[in-house]
Amino acid sequence: MNLKKYITLTRAGMIESLQFRLGTLVIIAGNLLYLIVVYFLWKAIYASAGTDTVNGMTFSDTLIYLVLATALFNFMEMYIVWEMGRSIQSGKIALDLLKPMEYRRYMFWSYSGSFVTQFFFTFLPTFIVVAAVTQGAIHLGFNLLFFVISVVMAVSINYSIDFLVGTICLYTESIWGINIMKQVIVTLLSGATIPIAFFPEPLKTIVYFLPFQSIYNAPLSILLEGHPQPLALLATLGLQLFWCITMTILSRLFWKASLRQITVNGG
Amino acid sequence: MKRKGLGFYLRIYGKILAQDLKSKMSYRADFIISTIGMIFTNIAGFISFWILFQNFPSVGGWSYYEMLFLYGFSLVSLTPVQCFFDNNWSLRMYVYSGDFIKYCFRPINLFFYYQSEVFDIKGLGQLAFGIGTLAYSWSRLGLDFTPLMLLKMIIFLLTASLIMIALQNAAAATCFWIQNSFYVLDLVTRFKDYAKYPITIFSPVFRFIFTFVMPVAFIAYYPSFVILRPDEVPLLSWLSPLIGVLFFWLSYKIWMKGAMSYSGTGS
Repeated sequence: MNLKKYITLTRAGMIESLQFRLGTLVIIAGNLLYLIVVYFLWKAIYASAGTDTVNGMTFSDTLIYLVLATALFNFMEMYIVWEMGRSIQSGKIALDLLKPMEYRRYMFWSYSGSFVTQFFFTFLPTFIVVAAVTQGAIHLGFNLLFFVISVVMAVSINYSIDFLVGTICLYTESIWGINIMKQVIVTLLSGATIPIAFFPEPLKTIVYFLPFQSIYNAPLSILLEGHPQPLALLATLGLQLFWCITMTILSRLFWKASLRQITVNGG
Repeated sequence: MKRKGLGFYLRIYGKILAQDLKSKMSYRADFIISTIGMIFTNIAGFISFWILFQNFPSVGGWSYYEMLFLYGFSLVSLTPVQCFFDNNWSLRMYVYSGDFIKYCFRPINLFFYYQSEVFDIKGLGQLAFGIGTLAYSWSRLGLDFTPLMLLKMIIFLLTASLIMIALQNAAAATCFWIQNSFYVLDLVTRFKDYAKYPITIFSPVFRFIFTFVMPVAFIAYYPSFVILRPDEVPLLSWLSPLIGVLFFWLSYKIWMKGAMSYSGTGS
């Protein structure tokens, strides 16, 4: 049936991502080190602040937020810009375009396999460890359900932004520069390095008007809020849905308009 | 083999550098975009720094301007590794494909010839940004500015940068023994992000690790004591030039040992 081709791609992606076991181990080691640095840094920061709660976030809130942001980052980072840029440079894109599936969809589904493996091997263990260490700071209730819905939309928004930026590579043939710009903007403005609650006032308002905060800040604040106001919850999810649709349409339109740009050097 | 003098090597370096710049200039758009990307990275790093200190006056007894000094110091001391040793990133590709053998047939120092092939101009943006940050925090802290201070500063900056160069050399050289050294290199590169924090924020165990096992504390923390708090310089600060040279020499030996045992791929 129609669904079969997607599942096949997912399976292939899972097998592919399981190939690099040593790489995964080193990534986990690197993350652990990062978490240690983050832990001590924020502990020192909160110790200097003199109060337990800063901008409505306690130390354990901040820690959960930052740790899970890293876990989400590993889970969502698909290196789409690299992949697209490289296949544009090498000319492989010509073959991908001939496949009996739309390119945007093909790219997504061939990465979906690594979602599955990353979820079980990095996100879930991290989540369990954090929940155990902070002892009940994560409220386990309906917010988990909303968190999952929110993450699904975050994945979609993140993918659309990646695809949009990857399309720019058709024009510039520069990968490194474009990718680093995207990464810097997304990690800073999405609240992945510093929770948006800490942003000073004019900047905070601006950030809430941009799509990036829907990627990390929205799901994580939903998770941390044990007993959310229905209206606030609805607003967060609604905003995410809005960006989900807008970015999908934008990236599709831009890709369609740019397809004519492709020049493939030789075969 | 007859030993060649420093003048000879400088002349050769100039010639190779000119060729490299010429080839870079033929991809002008890529060059410009990459440079902008690098500037973006630095600005974003600064903004996250600034946001943090909007909320907290000091971290672990270090004031805003002192932290800024550490940050600027780490940026400047990390410039040489970015500019002169960027070819380390390609080492695993050369080794894997067998192209590395071409370097083995040149009548000059193998390590020198390999590293001289690439000069990364992007690093200069970081240098300018770092010097600006240093100068600003220097004047805000009201430190004296004497020729002696400047001399100390330059010596300690140079030796601090040897540490990161050494770490990267050793990490890149692992590809002579394991096939894919990318993850090791990537892990080591992430260390440099931690160089800007004073290690007093860590627990004793991690203080020990960051000083003796992964010597990131020597990139900014220990050397900057000499300028920042001249009355309470720990012994390790005075030792840091020695340690820098020692580490560099060790990494050179490791690199060369790997290169000398390289047997090519047979093609």
